[in-house]
Amino acid sequence: MNGSALEIARRIRSGEVSAVAVLAQTRAVIEAQDGSLNCFTATTFERAQREAAAIDARRSRGESLPPLAGVPYAVKNLFDVAGVTTLAGAKVNAGNPAAAGDAHLVARMHEAGAVLVGALNMDEHAYGFTCENTHFGATRNPRDHARVSGGSSGGSAAAVAAGLVPVTLGSDTNGSIRVPASFCGVFGLKPTYGRLSRSGCFPFVDSLDHVGPLAATVADLAMSYDALQGRDERDHACAQRDIEPVGETPALPAGTRIGILGGWFQDWAGPAARRAVQMAAAALGATQRCELTSAASARAAAFVITGAEGGALHREKLLTRYAEFEPASRDRLVAGSLIPASWLLEAQRVRKRAYLEALDLFGRFDLLLAAATPDYAPLIGSESFTVNGRTVPTRASLGVLTQPISCIGLPVCAAPLWPDPGVNLPVGAQLIAAPWREDLCLAGAAVLERAGVARPISLEQ
Amino acid sequence: MNDPPDSLRTYVRAALDLQGYEFSEERIAEITLQFTRIESIARTILPPGVAAATEQDPGPAPVFRP
Repeated sequence: MNGSALEIARRIRSGEVSAVAVLAQTRAVIEAQDGSLNCFTATTFERAQREAAAIDARRSRGESLPPLAGVPYAVKNLFDVAGVTTLAGAKVNAGNPAAAGDAHLVARMHEAGAVLVGALNMDEHAYGFTCENTHFGATRNPRDHARVSGGSSGGSAAAVAAGLVPVTLGSDTNGSIRVPASFCGVFGLKPTYGRLSRSGCFPFVDSLDHVGPLAATVADLAMSYDALQGRDERDHACAQRDIEPVGETPALPAGTRIGILGGWFQDWAGPAARRAVQMAAAALGATQRCELTSAASARAAAFVITGAEGGALHREKLLTRYAEFEPASRDRLVAGSLIPASWLLEAQRVRKRAYLEALDLFGRFDLLLAAATPDYAPLIGSESFTVNGRTVPTRASLGVLTQPISCIGLPVCAAPLWPDPGVNLPVGAQLIAAPWREDLCLAGAAVLERAGVARPISLEQ
Repeated sequence: MNDPPDSLRTYVRAALDLQGYEFSEERIAEITLQFTRIESIARTILPPGVAAATEQDPGPAPVFRP
């Protein structure tokens, strides 16, 4: 589908094109291209037809249209969609009954006028960073089909990067929005923990799970984020905060203090990732370096919490249906279910200490900058990768730069940079702010976008 | 990764039994390797040993809220 979400909505609002026509074009693009990418695990074109027709009917009656009227979008297949079985990437869930209703965020997108066209591939149970799913196939990176799309929201990032839809929804427990956004070259927002409701989403790690949008432009990302905000008592972690709209043109306030994260974030960034950060820093006018000294322990805490909570969540099915689980992650899940309670408690204490250190850092800086992934997307099938002389397992370790941030719940926008001229592969930068300051993350990304540094390069170029 | 120490092998086997898992020796070996990896990362934030001492000035384990 050509055009940003806001451009599509504007054209529909003006009568230049109908929502039904936009849907037909979107469907044609998906049917032509998804066979080679494997982004979608289900399409919802009948529902989409009803939603698009309803938008056209509202316009014909002279009603004012909502901000995302007629905009096609898709969701990671852990979001409940009425009438569709919620897979969460797992064969073991394939026999479950279809969801009776929509997830809260799907309902919010419907209210904003968006048109749902399908559910997207992911790592099983969101436990992985590559979107190589043994049962549903790997989602390929649209920039290079031999490479992973990243995960776990790989379908969400690849669908936007390939231009199948302008906006998608994903989830991020340890980096699952930011890693695929980095590898596929799109914008992704992981809001503050508790900002957006997770009700109607298949859980992974309750105390770490976040949900958020991915998009091809900052304006689309910001407007989608605004549409998704709102209280929801069905998610115990959802903050009782009023909607704080960012608007489509978030601006960075004059005098914004930006720190470039060193230490852990420098150590685990390879040459391309370091160049991406340098490019972003130059565009933002950032020169000051700083350090989150507890990054390593926050990452370790995230690892322990993820193993313990994720393992406990799936323990019953692991006992009886182990063979149906993803071979690449099932033994990690079982191992996680054996973690002693004392480790989990200590990890939560470490997490709190890291959070307090971050708050102290935000006394000196408003925005922090770091790479989102250690390097470009690895090749499909890579068992390990090496960064700065250290070789680590791919599936468990690609989130080494994202985990410390989600562990302490900070809002982050991943912005796509292109550090090497002539190499059609992106590496993302993380723009990190204090809790509840998603506006600053998005404003920083908008600066990079306007400077031409961060952009989802057209696949035709 | 190096071979897991005997203490971890013993712990994993006992914990699997306790929780009711029934796996082949090959699977137990793989799960032990995975647990060893978790332990090696956890060790960086924990007192040494599988059973971390929580009585030494632990403070409360907070429910996380930003």
